[in-house]
Amino acid sequence: MAVKPRYYETLYIIRPDIKEEELAKIEQRLHDALAAHEGEIIRFDKWAQRELAYEILDYNRGTYYIIIFKSLPGAVAELERHLRFYNTDVLRFMTVSITEAAANKEKAAQENKAAEESSTPEAAAPSETAPSETAPSETAPSEAAPAEAAPEPEQETKPESEPATAEPTEGGAN
Amino acid sequence: MESPRDRKYFARKKVCRFCTESIEMNYKNIDTLSRYITDRKKIVPKRNSGLCARCQRQLATEIKRARFMALLPYTVLH
Repeated sequence: MAVKPRYYETLYIIRPDIKEEELAKIEQRLHDALAAHEGEIIRFDKWAQRELAYEILDYNRGTYYIIIFKSLPGAVAELERHLRFYNTDVLRFMTVSITEAAANKEKAAQENKAAEESSTPEAAAPSETAPSETAPSETAPSEAAPAEAAPEPEQETKPESEPATAEPTEGGAN
Repeated sequence: MESPRDRKYFARKKVCRFCTESIEMNYKNIDTLSRYITDRKKIVPKRNSGLCARCQRQLATEIKRARFMALLPYTVLH
C-alpha cells in the first residue's frame, strides 16, 4: 500500500535577537528540505512575536514561525532534523498533523491574501515596506508581506501578537 | 428512578461548549484555552469545565501542546 501524503503544521520559535541573514539561511534550508521531499508548502510565514510563557535558553521573547505543508511522512523527520541543527537559534519546534479540511482552509486564506495583494498593490505597499523585517528572507515576499496586514483569524484573537513593527532585537536585550 | 438524595441539588444540565458553539479548539488559540486553566495553571477538570469526554481529551492535548511551545505556562513557579 502506497504511503499517502499528509498535511502537517510546524510551529517553531526563533530567538528574538537573530540576525536577518541567519534567519534567511534557516528559512532557505527548511524550504530546501521540503522541496527535496516533494513537500508542497501551503503557508510559510511569521505567526507572532510574543512573550514566552517561560524562559527557554534564557530568552523571554521569541518569534514564532509557521509552516503548513503537504508531504509524505518522511519529510517531517527531515524537516525536524534541520530545525534541530540550529538548536541555538530555534528555541522550540513542534510538528502536528492537521486535517485536510484545516489545510484547505489555510490554502484558501492564502489565496485570498494573494488575490487581495494583486488587486490593491498600491494600498498594501506603503504600510508594508515600513517595518524593517518584512523585506529580507521570505521566498515569496509579495505573499509574505500582507501577512501582517490581512486579518488572520488566529491573529484576531490575540491582539498582543499583532505589532509586527516591533524590532526583534528589542525583546532580546533582557 | 430518583433517589431522595438527588433531589437535594438542583443540577443545571451541562452542555459542552465546544460541541454546541463553533469554537475552534487549537493550541494556537490561547485565549480560548486559557479559560480552561486554573489560576495555578492546571487544566480544569471535566466536572468543572463541563465539556464532554471527547472535547475534554482534545482540550488536554491542545493545552499540552501550547505549553510545550511556551504559549501557556506549566506552572506559576516558572
